[in-house]
Amino acid sequence: MSSHAAAPHEVAPGDPPHIHHMDSTTAYGAAKLGMWLFLATEILLFAVMFCSFAIMRYYHLDKFHDASHHLNLLAGAFNTAVLLFSSFTAAVAVTNAQRGDNRGVVVNFGISILCGFIFLLVKAYEYSEKAHHGMFPFVWNSNFYEYKNFLGIYFTMTGLHALHVIIGMVVMFIYGIRPAMKNRYSGRYYTPVELSALYWHLVDLIWIYLFPLLYLVG
Amino acid sequence: MSAHATTAHNEELNYLNWKTGLWSWLSSTDHKRICFLYLFTILIFFFAGGAAALLMRLELASAGPTIPGIVKDPHTYNVLFTLHGVFMIFLFVVPGIPATLGNFLIPLMIGAKDVAFPRLNLFSYYLYVIGATIGAISLLHPVDTGWTFYAPYSTTTGTSVSLMVFAAFVLGFSSILTGLNFIVTIHQLRAPGMTWMRLPVFIWASYATAIIQTVATPVVGMTLLLIIAERVFGAGIFDPAKGGDPVLMEHLFWFYSHPVVYIMVLPAFGVVGEIIPVFSRKPLFGYKMVVLSSMAIAAVGFIVWAHHMFVAGISDFSAIFFSLVTFLVAIPTAIKVFNWVSTMYKGSISFSTPMLYAMAFVFLFMIAGTTGIYLAMLGVDVYYHDTYFVVAHFHYTIQGGAVIGLIAALHYWFPKMSGKMYSETASKFAFALVFIGFNLTFIPQFVLGMEGMPRRYYDYPSQYQNLHTISTVGAFMNGFGYTFALANLLWTALFGKVKAPRNPYNSVGLEWQTASPPIHENFPETPVVDKDPYHYGTPAHV
Amino acid sequence: MLGLLGEQGSDFAHKVDYAHDIVTIISVVCTVAIVGTMLYFAVIYRQRDGRDHETPMIEGNNLLEVIWTVFPTLVVIWVAYLGYDAFIDMRTAPADSMEVNVTGQKWAWDFQYANGKKTTGELVVPVDQPVKLVMTSRDVLHSFFVPVMRTKMDVIPGRYTYEWFRPIKTGDFQVFCTEYCGDLHSGMRARLKVLPKAEFERWLADDSEERKLASMKPSDRGQEIYGKQCIACHSLDGSPRTGPSWLKLFGKEGQLVGGGTYKADENYIRESILYPQSKTVAGYEAAANAMPSYKGQLSDDDITSLIAFIKTIDGTQKVAPSQPAAPKALDAAQLAAMSPADRGKALFNDPGNMCYTCHSIDGSRLVGPSMKGLWERKSKMSDGTEIVSDANYIKESILKPQAKIVEGYGPVMPAIYEGKLKDENISDIIEYIKTLK
Repeated sequence: MSSHAAAPHEVAPGDPPHIHHMDSTTAYGAAKLGMWLFLATEILLFAVMFCSFAIMRYYHLDKFHDASHHLNLLAGAFNTAVLLFSSFTAAVAVTNAQRGDNRGVVVNFGISILCGFIFLLVKAYEYSEKAHHGMFPFVWNSNFYEYKNFLGIYFTMTGLHALHVIIGMVVMFIYGIRPAMKNRYSGRYYTPVELSALYWHLVDLIWIYLFPLLYLVG
Repeated sequence: MSAHATTAHNEELNYLNWKTGLWSWLSSTDHKRICFLYLFTILIFFFAGGAAALLMRLELASAGPTIPGIVKDPHTYNVLFTLHGVFMIFLFVVPGIPATLGNFLIPLMIGAKDVAFPRLNLFSYYLYVIGATIGAISLLHPVDTGWTFYAPYSTTTGTSVSLMVFAAFVLGFSSILTGLNFIVTIHQLRAPGMTWMRLPVFIWASYATAIIQTVATPVVGMTLLLIIAERVFGAGIFDPAKGGDPVLMEHLFWFYSHPVVYIMVLPAFGVVGEIIPVFSRKPLFGYKMVVLSSMAIAAVGFIVWAHHMFVAGISDFSAIFFSLVTFLVAIPTAIKVFNWVSTMYKGSISFSTPMLYAMAFVFLFMIAGTTGIYLAMLGVDVYYHDTYFVVAHFHYTIQGGAVIGLIAALHYWFPKMSGKMYSETASKFAFALVFIGFNLTFIPQFVLGMEGMPRRYYDYPSQYQNLHTISTVGAFMNGFGYTFALANLLWTALFGKVKAPRNPYNSVGLEWQTASPPIHENFPETPVVDKDPYHYGTPAHV
Repeated sequence: MLGLLGEQGSDFAHKVDYAHDIVTIISVVCTVAIVGTMLYFAVIYRQRDGRDHETPMIEGNNLLEVIWTVFPTLVVIWVAYLGYDAFIDMRTAPADSMEVNVTGQKWAWDFQYANGKKTTGELVVPVDQPVKLVMTSRDVLHSFFVPVMRTKMDVIPGRYTYEWFRPIKTGDFQVFCTEYCGDLHSGMRARLKVLPKAEFERWLADDSEERKLASMKPSDRGQEIYGKQCIACHSLDGSPRTGPSWLKLFGKEGQLVGGGTYKADENYIRESILYPQSKTVAGYEAAANAMPSYKGQLSDDDITSLIAFIKTIDGTQKVAPSQPAAPKALDAAQLAAMSPADRGKALFNDPGNMCYTCHSIDGSRLVGPSMKGLWERKSKMSDGTEIVSDANYIKESILKPQAKIVEGYGPVMPAIYEGKLKDENISDIIEYIKTLK
């Protein structure tokens, strides 16, 4: 997790923060291990949704198939491309940080966050489109009553994912961009950038599974 | 295992008094102080949950309405058993040993200054407090679903299920972060020379527990969120009236809630593995097998969940599969018991209170384990499912296991934690009350189960009368015992006069090599470990 | 062998009990052996004179570890097989099983036989005949547990589960609901009656009631159904009970909870019967949740009849409450020969009076107070007064149920017994109550 990230005052820019109970190499290893464990818990969180999706689809196969055609395939595909690109820039930002290029971190994380905004905008457009057709979350318009299980899963999964997108954007800003603007990172210390990027990759990865399941397979 | 001789340092300044004032406690990131924050909070819910249990037992003391002034209708009774379950499980036993003694002991036992992420540790505590507060708010319109929150009852009842379920979600998040913190701590912060095979078994048990906490809890977290989605938006995943599947909810729920019993009881195994060698003056028999069995229980625990669902409408094939793998749990558990008993062979056994609790634990856990065999057997479980036999079995594992383990640990490490020695007479008296009261409560419930008495019944046919009455008497005795045991410790911690020496039991454990109570960062200088964890006795002359 | 689980009522019960016996013996032997060893060690290796004696540094023994890994493994494989063996029997219903449909709902069990006969709260089966229960639920999870048959299965809304048993003896046995289902979970019980084959055939073929219903004109049939299913909560004279009165109900307009209005036409009434929670009349918020759905319980014909009946309740004619059916099994001569208490018992259990549906005799709480120990009991009334239930009080309670309400119970008992039960009937019932100590 990111508890190590705040910089105590006495540390020179580019040096790891002083942590009273362990040395900086241990701290780096601990932070990375902690983050990976946290990502594992996130995946398990979504695993429940994937599992529910599989079961519900088994029960309501036809309905799922029909309902998925009501999703905006173009918007979904566009969003996939946007997130993939943002993951790339996040990875570049890590390289930037390792090379001490704090400006690069700001720019590339900036692009990733921008992509996040675009993703959310498109998602909001898709939601409003659904709402317009009476397929708004959980208020079952009788026309779409038969799709309720698909829509229930669709809105729960994409809603939860969108929440993760927002968290990822906030994390990249607070632990990536803000310290980088103060030239905080160097080859000796770039843990928060790496961890923020890891988290963003997870957000991307989950979408990579959501998109084909919801939009293509149905 | 021994630490380097500690150099001269100020004996007076320790973690309890190096900073003072309430805020210094509430904002402390010291793992030892966080242990106390947890301890006081969870004990509030222990007594709240206990009070609910005693009211239930009082109501059940006779057939028909018994205390209509308090439990005025079946609904009130249903609320009581729900609160008892939710408080005891989510607010007391799950954080029980890991969040209190795990916090206190893990850094001390591995020779670290603190856990890996001290601020995250404090954050976990406040998440727990937030979850507990939300749960307390839900008492305005208390939940009547049972702690299992089975759909569609939980998705349709009028009580504040959403709030309580969200509280459980937040508590789960706290549990995840604690587990994650411990895993990283054990991986990264071991003192020089503290190899994996020199870790005390309590650390191994905590490690296995932390893995379960981290891996299983997210699943129940999401399941609980889905219950909220079902109630608030009608998501149609669990409610059959909307095309959902209630059995799916049971699967997801037990995927967490079976392993969670190992979250509760594995640390207690660890505690017993620490206590028996010290008071027998012998190395822990078969250390490697004990370690291996902890990890095996954690691993197998993940694939046995559907044994809670033999009559829930799962296929016969899955029932057979889950029955078979459930039996696998019995093997590592049996190995542990054999090794604990063998440790006492040719020992020099003294009977301090912790040792009495540890021996009681072995006895109670034998009953818990063997009655578990009945419930793993398909044909027999069909009869016993949701009867008092299950209630009794569960309480033997969780109360006889986890709670007795916690009380044993609190006594054993009390000198280290508080720097004082408690009265052996008082604690042994409390032990007798707890032990007799506990068995008096739950042995009749085994018999009730044999006679077919279903659980969660506000009322019962009069043929079950006598056993219920005995059980009620036992429950009150048990309750007095715990109150007395904890009051004794609290009184000693606050007003006790007898100062505890650094190592009152002459233990070789690393945590005993520093001052009692320890200084803020545990050891004056990082200890170096050069021996096995239970280096007692004289090497054999070959 | 050990007989720990009590009476065996089904042909696979002995397998369950055998497995149970074996594991009991293993458990007791292991527990005694291990705890005994522990205590033995504790005694002979105890510290003496408060001083430690020298101990050997034994760190383990590989042979022992192998033994106590392999030995429990073999034992549990055997035990697992025993459990499996009993389970497979109880999951494999013979092809010649008699099927009975079981429906659970808060908080009662309904049974329907292949010939259409329906019962509530009482499952009647013939001895020596495999019976397969095909079960579903109308609302939440329930579980159908017959201890004496050693079988149990969850009852799930939206799908069917089954269990079966072959009764090996006649008798009257307890059925429990064992999956928590809400307020009256503990009251959700039924009786299992195992009859000799011939007697069962007679019982099953007895469709006098159904035939009577079919030949009635719709409004009479509706009245008959009202007397059985609706009377507890809906009055005909405008007096308030748990639900709205049916007086002048048809065509009535009014306010719904949450705004909106309703007009009580045929469709509205039908919807209210099938989906009670869909529209709630303002002022009856609490009652709406109390009313169960009658979907599947009342046929379309039943509902049409009920509507026809409701149309007749316009206040112009006094509707006589449904007449009690004379106890079928007993003729007048037999009744006269009985003791007063036995006559009272017959009246209490008479389907025409239905006392037993709301009043238990074993102390358990149903809709109304239990009759057990009622005689000369002191009870607190809803107005705070304390009343001793003597003959006058009981008589008043039967004839004018709303006069005094016991604290904690609703004013739901219908006033249908005046004129239906004569004074001597009531004194017989009182004699019967006196015997329920």
